Amino acid sequence: MKKHFYSHIVETESLVIALSDLNLSEQEKVHLIGIIDSSLQHAILDAVLSELSEKDKKEFLDQMSSEDNEKIWKFLNGKVENIEEKIKKVAKDLKEELHKDIKSVREK
Amino acid sequence: MWFFGKPISKKKVSHFEDLKEKWSQKHRVLQKQLWDKHGSVLKEFAEKTRHATLGSLAGIVLLTSPGISAASSIPQIPKDSQYADLGQTSTFLLNLNANVPQDVRPLTPEEEQKIGDVLSQSFGMKVSSELDGIKLNRSYGYIGQEQHLMRYPGDTMDTHLASQADVESYYKYGMAPGRGAWGYFANSSTSMTNQDINREKYYIAVQTFLAPGYLENTRQMSQFFKYRKMLVVNPQNGRAVVADIADSGPSEWTGKSLGGSPEVMNYLQRVDGAQKGAVLYFFIDDPNDTIPLGPVELKSS
Repeated sequence: MKKHFYSHIVETESLVIALSDLNLSEQEKVHLIGIIDSSLQHAILDAVLSELSEKDKKEFLDQMSSEDNEKIWKFLNGKVENIEEKIKKVAKDLKEELHKDIKSVREK
Repeated sequence: MWFFGKPISKKKVSHFEDLKEKWSQKHRVLQKQLWDKHGSVLKEFAEKTRHATLGSLAGIVLLTSPGISAASSIPQIPKDSQYADLGQTSTFLLNLNANVPQDVRPLTPEEEQKIGDVLSQSFGMKVSSELDGIKLNRSYGYIGQEQHLMRYPGDTMDTHLASQADVESYYKYGMAPGRGAWGYFANSSTSMTNQDINREKYYIAVQTFLAPGYLENTRQMSQFFKYRKMLVVNPQNGRAVVADIADSGPSEWTGKSLGGSPEVMNYLQRVDGAQKGAVLYFFIDDPNDTIPLGPVELKSS
């Protein structure tokens, strides 16, 4: 997966491993990992923005474009209580769904 | 299924097509949800930064602007893929797990060769399942939890751990009643070196007694195994430790193939018991003793 500001708290290796157990070519794995990555980004971005005021959303997006992770976390921790836990929860829920999908295609 | 007395073959959908369809649909829903809730601020941001070079997450805002199809924001299948655009750990895990069997069993010589090559390349050190004509009974197996080992006569749990953080993490594992297979690491606490400390801290126990030829060449092979460095890798998360062999075991009946010190197990994120997991363990060719013991990161490409 690409590195994001939340990469240190959102583990995705288990999905990569689970894909390795399927009958997929390298290109197909890369494609599916790309969808996982993008889906997590959307879900996490939605969760974070939902916690911020309109003004803070703009500031957060500006900070994101700078890719200064330390600054991003300082900002988020100052604005949202337990933001780490909230991001982890969103990621966990989505990952569980994706794991179930992998399991169901494996069992077909 | 039958139709007018003739069998109808069930259409076989590939794993890829099946997942692609499901996940693309999920992706579209997430995309719509994001834009429905935060569209105005995202649109403003997208317009403001249209000409800027954006980071990966910020870039997604532009990619998912209304009017651009959902599919276009999903990475397309690359033509010459070698996992070029993935993170380092994902790339490593994919390369590694293309060769690691799903069931935990002894690796074939071909698998050992391929996995050894992947590990050597990924960690920037020469590793192999066989060194100087000596190999273990296997190089992939379940790892169990070991206790701390006495480093010198009189070493106890009260003297063993260097910091409060270590006490909190590792005190509970206790001290093994006997010494390691090669005795104490040092003669006394005052003569103990950093190397001795690390040899105990990052030790593994392997089944030396099951190594091919061990009974016929016990003395020679025992000397070879003593503090021999091995790269131990958790193939499920890519975490790796340069460990040394400082004990012999576990017994064959345990169903486990090797044991790890509390520090090794903690770093690899492996646990004992019902949730035990497998690791790869390969000899490191380090004739000049330049590779330090402890956690090791993937080599930057």
